[in-house]
Amino acid sequence: MEQGIIENLITELTKLPGIGRKTAQRLAFFILSMPAEDAKGIARAIIEVKEKAHFCKVCFNVTDNELCHICSNPSRDRNKLCVVEEPSNIMVIERSKSFDGLYHVLLGALSPIDGYTPDRLKIHELIERVRKDSIQEVIIATNPNTKGEMTAQYIREMLKPFSVKVTRIAYGLPIGGDIEFADEVTLSKALEGRREI
Amino acid sequence: MLRRTEGIVLRTIPFGEADLIVTYLTGDLGLIKAFAKSPRKIKSRFGSSLEPLTHSIISFWGKEDTALPRLTQSDIIHPFKSIRDSLNSFLRASEIIEITLNFIPERDANRNVYSLLLHILQALENQDNPKILVNHYKIKFLKLVGFAPKLDACGRCGRSGTSFYLSHGSVLCETCARGIDSPVKISAAVLKLFTDLTTWDTLKVHRIKPSDILLSELSDIINMHIKYILSKPLKSEAFNNSISG
Repeated sequence: MEQGIIENLITELTKLPGIGRKTAQRLAFFILSMPAEDAKGIARAIIEVKEKAHFCKVCFNVTDNELCHICSNPSRDRNKLCVVEEPSNIMVIERSKSFDGLYHVLLGALSPIDGYTPDRLKIHELIERVRKDSIQEVIIATNPNTKGEMTAQYIREMLKPFSVKVTRIAYGLPIGGDIEFADEVTLSKALEGRREI
Repeated sequence: MLRRTEGIVLRTIPFGEADLIVTYLTGDLGLIKAFAKSPRKIKSRFGSSLEPLTHSIISFWGKEDTALPRLTQSDIIHPFKSIRDSLNSFLRASEIIEITLNFIPERDANRNVYSLLLHILQALENQDNPKILVNHYKIKFLKLVGFAPKLDACGRCGRSGTSFYLSHGSVLCETCARGIDSPVKISAAVLKLFTDLTTWDTLKVHRIKPSDILLSELSDIINMHIKYILSKPLKSEAFNNSISG
């Protein structure tokens, strides 16, 4: 009976990304040795997030309220809007503490051969926000790859009729890297985007 | 076994946390898939070399018959960056990628298709009318893989005809077409454009200047033919239509 419970936990844990059977086994025995309250805390957090989490009706960030904590924060700069592909991107940008505006999550990126057309993303909602709100700058922070770049170009085209400044996050070399190992495309983008110091 | 070859990236599919499955068209191995470890991480040694359309020299490790060898190295020969930088060019290039992925089986080398793709990407990079190049690619590609539509004469008896039948992939004369419904009418101008696009060299094809209507007419026939063979429309074509519409 005991073996069945542990086995069940291991099987469930292997459903998580990057968790193989061995790691799942290690985690299962760690959970077994944890204080009961800590283990219940993890279980409660998982149940709570599955029951209460949904998308913010304005920016499509993940929230448990009608508006996410960023949209409902009056101290955020409402003139700047940062467009990202996924809600997880917001957490990374927030961690950098270098942006105090609002966000808009597209919930994906355009991909013609995968059938990801503009109507499957939240692009129409973005245009509506620009049309109705007092946004002065839209910063496109989609991934620096072909899909992200195409999405950025498409949004720029769609926002042309509006008097809004559209910017793209900079390309370049990662901090701590070595120029010697940079590929020519990254390096040429870094040179194109150079700035005076 | 470590293998080394030249290839063009056609598609990448995210796998796991930061990995990619990369599909290449190569000259000597045909269509192959390879597993790349962590290229989505900012400091990955693969850099931008796995972006679609990149022409590179690749090394991969795995048994000869393994379905998914591991990519160990990728050095860019030419990135075809300007195609990716233009929304219009990349959307057209997506049609080329999708048709190639749909018609060619894995590990079936076809050096002519590889050369055609390379030439068409070079032409796309230097020209501003991608639509004619995409149609040129589709026609030449279909011919190389044995699925070209026959528009110049009846597919059964060789006599002249102007009605194209999707079910036969060919024009049929009045006698041979008896009892078969719903042909598509082929005008002399469309036939001439089709012949030109079939015979002209890829790097010179931009000299052909058909009207938009004529090019669309031929494009529709080719796309209907592809849709009939694949039993599904090209997703990238629907995408382009949704954007232009």
